[in-house]
Amino acid sequence: MRVAVTGTPGTGKTTAAEHLDTDLDVFHLNDIIKDEGFSTGIDEDRGSLVADLDKLSEWLDGRDDVLFESHLAHHFDADRVIVLRAHPETIVERLRERGDDDSKAYENAESEALDVILGEAVEEHGMESVYEIETTDRDPDEVAQEIQAVVDGEREPSAGTVSYIDWL
Amino acid sequence: MSEDTEDIWGIAHVHASFNNTIITITDQTGAETLAKSSGGTVVKQNRDEASPYAAMQMAEVVAEKALDRGVEGVDVRVRGPGGNLQTSPGPGAQATIRALARAGLEIGRIEDVTPTPHDGTRAPKNSGF
Ligand SMILES: Nc1ncnc2c1ncn2[C@@H]1O[C@H](COP(=O)(O)OP(=O)(O)O)[C@@H](O)[C@H]1O
Ligand SMILES: [Mg+2]
Repeated sequence: MRVAVTGTPGTGKTTAAEHLDTDLDVFHLNDIIKDEGFSTGIDEDRGSLVADLDKLSEWLDGRDDVLFESHLAHHFDADRVIVLRAHPETIVERLRERGDDDSKAYENAESEALDVILGEAVEEHGMESVYEIETTDRDPDEVAQEIQAVVDGEREPSAGTVSYIDWL
Repeated sequence: MSEDTEDIWGIAHVHASFNNTIITITDQTGAETLAKSSGGTVVKQNRDEASPYAAMQMAEVVAEKALDRGVEGVDVRVRGPGGNLQTSPGPGAQATIRALARAGLEIGRIEDVTPTPHDGTRAPKNSGF
């Protein structure tokens, strides 16, 4: 079983993954991109590495019983794709709290309001493989439990259950 | 803004999310709103009904309002997956733009200003499609 945990930065993927009690091997793809040098360049405006998705995909190839988390996780083969969601205002608060600058917080919040990652996840994997989890006002343990429920096959797929477009 | 002013060139801001499309037509500075879709017509609708048809209907209403206010044509700024996905899961920006044109608005420059999720890393543009 391969589980992808994706979602806009600030939805709490890394935190929730750290609260998981699972037999799956957990990988934080952002770290792997940096540690292994899986990038094709730098986006100066955003202070971000442009990820080399092919290299990362090869790295993931043949690994089974894994859970990988990143806002890029939905770009890779997975049996189940979990999309964490949070209200854009919550994204702004969490990212500022974490020490990110305003432009990063706002571009991510706007991405969340427009369902950018959810849309990509459904586009790549289909409605039947996507599991949306709302994290606004829920603590990391609750989110981890819901991820666990997806892994255990106790949840139905879902997408488009939240709408944050009014925030724009 | 009165009816007898010169024809106005505006900006159509299309926000295309998974389930919804919101269209706002402003003047060129973006400061004055000339026509706005009422979000309520599409927000919270059942996904099965979130077809390009709903967005197209809305585009027609907004275009009519804008034409009434003397808007002749618009540059289009698209934000949202509808802007760059081949087969958008949402109502879709492409259908919206076609509907604006069919309703009688001239369409100028179309710009995709969809935000990019990023966190020390980002995906390449148009990754996976
Ligand atoms: N469920 C939650 N409730 C409140 N704060 C959270 C929650 N999950 C994460 N956070 C906080 O929000 C920030 C972003 O979380 P993080 O796990 O780094 O998100 P991501 O990995 O999705 O970018 C961190 O400062 C974290 O402590
Ligand atoms: Mg993270």
